[in-house]
Formats: sequence, structure tokens, C-alpha cells
Amino acid sequence: MTERRQGLLFVAPAVAVLAGVALYPILGTIWLSLHRSILVFHEHRFVGFDNWATLFEDARFWSALVTTLYFSAVAVSAELALGLLFALLLHGVFRGRGLLRAAVLVPWAIPTVVSARLWGWLFNPDHGLVARMLPGDEVNWLGTPGYALHAAIVVDVWKTTPFVALILLAGLQAIPVELGRAAALDGAGPLRILWSITLPLLRPALAVAAVFRGLDAMRVFDAVYVLTGGGPANTTETLSIYAYKTLMRSGDFGYGSTIAVATFVCVSVLAAIYLWLVVPTQEPA
Amino acid sequence: MRTTLQRWLGLVVATGALGWSACSRPASAPNQPGRLVLVHQPLWGNPAPFEALLEQFRRDNPEVELRTQLLPNDSDVSHQFFLTSLEGGSADFDVLVADVVWVPEFARAGWIADLSSEFPPTALAAEFLPAAADAVTLEGKTWAVPWYLDVGLLYYRTDLVPRAPRTWAELEAFARAARTRDPSLQGYLWQGRQYEGLVCNVYEAIWGFGGQSLAGDRLALDTPEAAAALTLLRRLISTGVSPPSVTSAAEEQTRLAFQNGRAIFMRNWPYALGEAQQEGSAIRGKVAISPLPTQHGEPGFGALGGWQLAINARTPAERRPAAIRLVRLLTSLEANRLFALEYGRNPPRRAAYLDPALIAGAPEIAQLLPLLERARPRPLTPYYGMLSDILQSEFSAAISGVRPPAQALQRAQAQADRLMGAPR
Amino acid sequence: MKRLGLLLAMTAALTFCVGPFLWQVLTSLRPETEQTRLALPTRPTLQAYAEVFEGRAFAQVMLNSFAVASLTTLLCLAIGALAAFALARLPVPGRGALLAAALGASMFPPIATVGPLFLLIRALGLRDQLAGLVLPYATFALPLTLWVLTAHFRQLPPDLYRAARIDGCTPFAAFWRVLLPLAAPGLVTTGLLVFIFSWNEFLYALTFTSSPEHRTVPVAIALFASEHAEPWAQIAAASVIVTLPLVILTLAFQRRLVSGLTAGAVKG
Repeated sequence: MTERRQGLLFVAPAVAVLAGVALYPILGTIWLSLHRSILVFHEHRFVGFDNWATLFEDARFWSALVTTLYFSAVAVSAELALGLLFALLLHGVFRGRGLLRAAVLVPWAIPTVVSARLWGWLFNPDHGLVARMLPGDEVNWLGTPGYALHAAIVVDVWKTTPFVALILLAGLQAIPVELGRAAALDGAGPLRILWSITLPLLRPALAVAAVFRGLDAMRVFDAVYVLTGGGPANTTETLSIYAYKTLMRSGDFGYGSTIAVATFVCVSVLAAIYLWLVVPTQEPA
Repeated sequence: MRTTLQRWLGLVVATGALGWSACSRPASAPNQPGRLVLVHQPLWGNPAPFEALLEQFRRDNPEVELRTQLLPNDSDVSHQFFLTSLEGGSADFDVLVADVVWVPEFARAGWIADLSSEFPPTALAAEFLPAAADAVTLEGKTWAVPWYLDVGLLYYRTDLVPRAPRTWAELEAFARAARTRDPSLQGYLWQGRQYEGLVCNVYEAIWGFGGQSLAGDRLALDTPEAAAALTLLRRLISTGVSPPSVTSAAEEQTRLAFQNGRAIFMRNWPYALGEAQQEGSAIRGKVAISPLPTQHGEPGFGALGGWQLAINARTPAERRPAAIRLVRLLTSLEANRLFALEYGRNPPRRAAYLDPALIAGAPEIAQLLPLLERARPRPLTPYYGMLSDILQSEFSAAISGVRPPAQALQRAQAQADRLMGAPR
Repeated sequence: MKRLGLLLAMTAALTFCVGPFLWQVLTSLRPETEQTRLALPTRPTLQAYAEVFEGRAFAQVMLNSFAVASLTTLLCLAIGALAAFALARLPVPGRGALLAAALGASMFPPIATVGPLFLLIRALGLRDQLAGLVLPYATFALPLTLWVLTAHFRQLPPDLYRAARIDGCTPFAAFWRVLLPLAAPGLVTTGLLVFIFSWNEFLYALTFTSSPEHRTVPVAIALFASEHAEPWAQIAAASVIVTLPLVILTLAFQRRLVSGLTAGAVKG
């Protein structure tokens, strides 16, 4: 057998699994989105683009989209800013770096569901630490429209800033130290060095972290679903949560699939940007 | 290097094998001939009386091995459990509890067995309260048997207001008067979190404005009565009669606040009365119940809640007689009495309210008969399970001021019509 | 002055990262009557931990998660290592496309695949079975394995493979005897990442299992509470129990994990 054939043989199981758990279901979802499919009553008939027509007029879908975009934009910006501070700190300090790096990994290692529960307790209106530590009137964070989404953002930022920090740290460590030293000799202050040298050189790492996190934030489910269930008044309902409720709580597989495909399309746009940024550099020489 | 890798691979294979054995082990071993599985929701309180009842079944049916399985205590999560397991054709359990609003759905989906031959609809209508019997019959067939009932009530503080308010205007006036005397008091507590309890609260208000649940085959949502009801509930919050926290409150948050003496009125289920009259309660002897207020002062309609027992359609014929016997026992007059006395649950059987032992032992339950006779179910439609998410969302949006009631109702109506297959 | 600033920054960072988790630990140790206190518990108790394990239900849940995560890891390593070797060293046509496709699959929102997967799993009779979770988990785990391991195999000197072939090894023997042992560190890193991701997965587990005895850890914790008074101390205790192994694992392997994670992200 030629190496080429052997290679194909070796790759075959992985291809088969990926086709079975990724390609087939995504095509299936697109196909279902063209049906009225009420699982429990065995209603299943082709309706063409009816569901899509409904989707474009569905105010709940549009508000879920806006919620998701807002969540992603705010959360990712905060994660980048905080992650950069963490990375600079990790890069700059020598004593206690090990301790800090270990600490940074703690939120990352905690299951998302657990972190949502943990913050749910911190945000508890009666006994929560947050409500009691913040000055001013007590706010029911998880029960008040406008606040709840920001509580969810806090959870996401806490959970994923470490990941961003580690990527940025890797980026920082790739920047030659001499550049900074030379600039310092020329009389540049630390902020100036950060702004004119470090940040431009860190741009690829920042871009990767932003897109990577953006992808995750656009499909967010666990953290928000466990923290608020999409409430109050659906003000924290993201695309994934709306699709999930329609699919699994209502059992409306047709329309649920339509929302799921729409989510997929939104994520794909970001994913395309990411592939375009990253893949060319990885092609084997 | 090789040895390290091999040791490591060995470890991985060993854990994998352990994992596989854990995965492939039959966990609940269904379908054994003599076994009967009952799925029910937590009853709270002392488990012993219920256990004794099951023990009685075991004694009378020695050939049957009776097992029980508990549901999560959240109606939406339990519904999803049934959706995934019954839809998947599970025969892991035989007798199951169903919330009032699930029976038409489960029946239409073919998940629960037709019980008409053992429990004829006419007999049910004669023996059970009207709303309870209605909720388990569909198109002339019986699909479940009522186990115990719940109904929405108004609780009020006899030391703070002169009498029960009959209209919403009265309730608002009484609350204002009491709050001018003691500004630390909260006015009217109800359940406004985005969950099933909110739907009950809103329907009670809609009925109080003369609205109906269904208009033919459609849900009657985009109506002036419903708009008036939601406007009222929103106004209660915006004028301070109800505290802002009601938009995230469920039964227990409101009961705890009310029982600590912090509020004048509360809407809740009957269980709160037993708790309020317990020793150590701050409002013991200072609380009474009445029908909910309405627009014009006639007694209000409470939402019907509670649980029914049904039989899995997949239960094989040879286990059916035992399953029927279990349902008969758990829904008998004796069981009704036991659930009333031991768990404070309202009997669905009319005869239970004339039972001397019950009247003596649980007078607060016996006095609820007139209220239960006026109880109304939320819309009885097979699509209810699918609709409740829409209702919860839009009702929540209206009462928390995210969008005006009329707009929320229009949105709910459009989504409901689409789901139920009505022409757009 | 600068040192003071650094010290403050360090303290703030440490509090941010570890503080919320420590608060959860404190909550789990408080008796019911002290849940509303801000200060340290005066009478710390392990009662919540005992209650969590009462009736074995939670031990079962942990065993479930362990089984699913280790099976997923095993499956992905077995399939992934072979494919990654081929992608790195053999002239497989369209390998760039395959890697890109794998990366694309890992970016699928799980919600976009959950419907058909539910129908598929039901048709296979795997609904509410732990085995029914392993395959769907490959959606995100296999791409990760492919990318990290392909990178690892590429880093090994190409001459090793050539030499083994000249010595008469078949491609598989060269892979099994020569390259795989050298890629052991990569396997450990990948295995750990896959294990942790599978342990934490929520959406599929919530959808494909229904009975309490087949739940995994995240599902059990998400559904822990009840409509009535929530058992906060027990939730906290359960959270601590399921998180500690991960934290220990993460800290023990932190260098490897960090390199795997950042390689996975920066390079793909």
C-alpha cells in the first residue's frame, strides 16, 4: 500500500467521526429549518421558507440577536482590557509570578456551570455579597432588566479573562526585550513604550484573542442559562438560549432549527474572519 | 521514553475500560415483569405517611415490586424530563404525575394510556370537583386521575385591613391606608418571576376582568380584558402597591416576606396558610384568606394547580392492572384525607370535604371548597407545554415594564397562533 | 512606590481570580444559620458535604462524568493521534482543507447541531445513556486533538520517520514504535484538555440525558436547586467537590496546559 493510501486510511476514522457529529447534524438542522416539525405530535411537513419568513418578523429573535451582540461586545472588550493588565502584570513581576499564574488558572478550571452558580449566590438579592458590598440602594441584580445582562457579563469576564491573559502573555513573551530597553534609553516612559511599541507588536495576539473569545461569546449558553435562564423578561436571552428553549422546551424542531441556523450563520461570519487570520500561517511548508 | 508512554497508555486504557463499564451498566433495569415504577414530585414534609401508603400497596400486592423516582421540584424542568423520556419511548416508569396543564399534551402525543374503561368520565365528573375532572378528560376520554389540587388565593392581614378587598381598587386603597400608618410595610405580594407561577397570576387577573382563556381553538391573548389585567399588574408595581421585587419573586420569597409580617396582602397557594398559622410565625392568628379581587367585586377565580396520576402508554398489558390499582389507591378517599391531614394538600374528591375527620383535623382545607369550585384551569390545549414559554416571556416583559402590555400581548398572540398552526 | 503599586495590583488580581471561589468554599462550610453573615463562619461544619453525598446520588453523578470524560479522551486520542500523524508526515491529499474543516467544526455553536444529534441518538437507542454523550463530545474534542497533535508531530525531526521507514518499518509501525512515544507530552496535554472540556460540557448533557442517575456533574449542579428555598450550602459544597480535582489537575500540569491552550489558540 502506498503511503498516500495509508495516510488516507489513518485519517478516515477522524473524518468519519467529524462527518457524523458535525457535518451531518448541521445539514440536518438546515433541512429541519425548512419544516414545520412538532416532535411530540409527530407533525412533520415541508413548509419551504415559512420559518425564515417568521424569523425575520420575530421581534424576540431580533432582541436575542441584539442581546447576544451586546453581550459579546462588552464582555470581549472587558476581557481584552483586563487580560492585558493581567498579562502585563504576569510579564512584569518576578516575585510571586508563579502564584499569580496559578491563581489565574483557577477561574479557567472551574466548570462554567459552577461559576454561574457561584456568581448566582454572590448576586443573590437577599444574602449575596455583591448587593451588600456595593454602596447605594440594594439592587436585585438578577431580577432587574438591564442589570441581569451585566451580571451575566461579569460571570463571563471572570471565567474567561485568564484565557485571554495567557494568550496575551504568550504574545508579550515573543516581543524582544531589547526593543523596550532601547526605547527606555531614548527617554520613553513606560506608558509611551506600551502604547508605541508593545501594543502594535501585540496586535496579532490581541486580534486572535478577540476573535476566539468573540466566537465563544456569540454562542454563549451555559453561563447565562444557569444564571438567569434568559430572564427577567427575556432581557438576557441569547440566540442559543432562544433556540434551545424552542427546540427542547417547546419541542418545535422546525422553528428552533431556524433560530439555530441563524446563530450558526452569525458565528460563521466571525469564524471566517478567524480562519482568514490564522490558517495561512499554519500551512505546511 | 517508551516505558513511560506504555505506562501512561495502560492507565488510559484502564480508565477507559472503567468508564465503559460504568456507561454500559444498565442503570435502571426497566421492563422487569414484576416491577412497577412511580415517578412523582417531592411532597415536602414528613415522608413517613406517604411511605406507609406505598407499604400498604406492597402488602396488598406482594407480587409487585414497587419503586419510586423523584422529579426535580421545578415544573418546567419536570416537563422537559417527560418530553425527552416519553418522546424517546421510555418504559422506565409506569405511573407518572402530570401537572394540570400537561394532560392534554401528553394524551395527544400518545404518551399516556386511555383510562376510560377503569375511570369512566361520568364517574369522574360525579366524584371529583368540576375543574379537576375537566382537566383530565379530553374528547370524552379519561387520561389521568386527579391526585391533589391547588388554587390561587388572596391572603390578607386581619390586623391591618378591615376586611378582604373585593375589587382591585379596594385592595389598592386598603394597602395605601395601611402603608400610611406604617410605611415600612409592603403592600401586595405576588409571583412575578419569569416562570409558570407568573402565568397563573396573570390569568387570575385576566379572569377577574371578565376575560377568557380560549377563543375557539385560539388562545385569547390580544384582548381588552388581558390588556387591562396586565396594565393593572404593572400599575401595582409602578405605584408602589407591590414592591419591585415581585418581578423576580416565586412562591417562597413572597411567603417568607409575608410570614415575617412585612406585607399586607399576598397571592399564594393554600400551603402558605398552614405555614402562616404555625407556631413561631410572626402573623399567626392575624391572617385570613379570601377569593382574589376582581374588577367589579364578584369573587375572583383562582388558577387551578395540582397533580394528576397517569399511566405510561408504554407500560405493557401485564403490568397495567397493578398500575391501575396503584392509581386507585393513591386517589382514593382515604388517600385524599391522608394528603390533606399530613401534607396540607387539597383533595380533589368532593366527598373529602364532607369527611368529619378532615373537617376536624384540617379545617383550613375544608373551608376552601367554595374557592376550589370556582377554580379555573389555564388554557386546556395540547400545545400548552409549548405555549407556556411564550406566555412567561411576554407576561414578564409586560409586568417589568420592558414593553407596554398591549404590545406584549400582540407578540404573544402572534407566536401562539403560529405554534398552534392557526392561519397567519 | 512602584513596588507598592505592584503589590496592590497583585493583590487585586489575586482577589479577582480566587476570591469568588474562596467565598464559595466559605459558604459550603457555614451552618444554615450563618449564611447571612459576612464574617468568617464561627462554627464551620462539613454537614453540607455529608448531605451532598447522602444517598449516593452525587457519587453516581461524579462517576458518570468521569466515565464520559475518560471515554471521550480515549476515543479522541486514539482516532486523533493516528490522523494527526498522517496529516503531519504522510502525503495525504487535502490535509490543509481537513485541518481547516476540523477547526471550523470546533467553532460550530453546539445549538446548531443539537437537534439532529438528539434525533440520531434517539434512533440509535442511546438516549439517556452515557455512551450517547461520547460521540457528540467529539465535535469539539476531536478538532482540538487534531490541531495540537499535528503540531506536535510536526515538531519531531522528519528524519526520525524516514529512518524508521528505511529500517523496514511500515508507516503504522513507525508511528506506533517511534513517533508516538516521542509525542507523549503532547498526548498528555491534549488528553488533559479534552478531559477538562468534556467534564465541563453542559448543553449536550442537558439535552441527551433525562434521568437523575445518568446526569453529569454540570447538569446535576445546574438542576440542584429547587423552586422553594435553595440549599445554598449544598450547592456550594457540590461545586467545591467537583472543582477541586480540576484545580489540582490544572495547577499540577499548568505549564503543559498553558502551552497547549495558547498553541491551540495562537496557532489554531
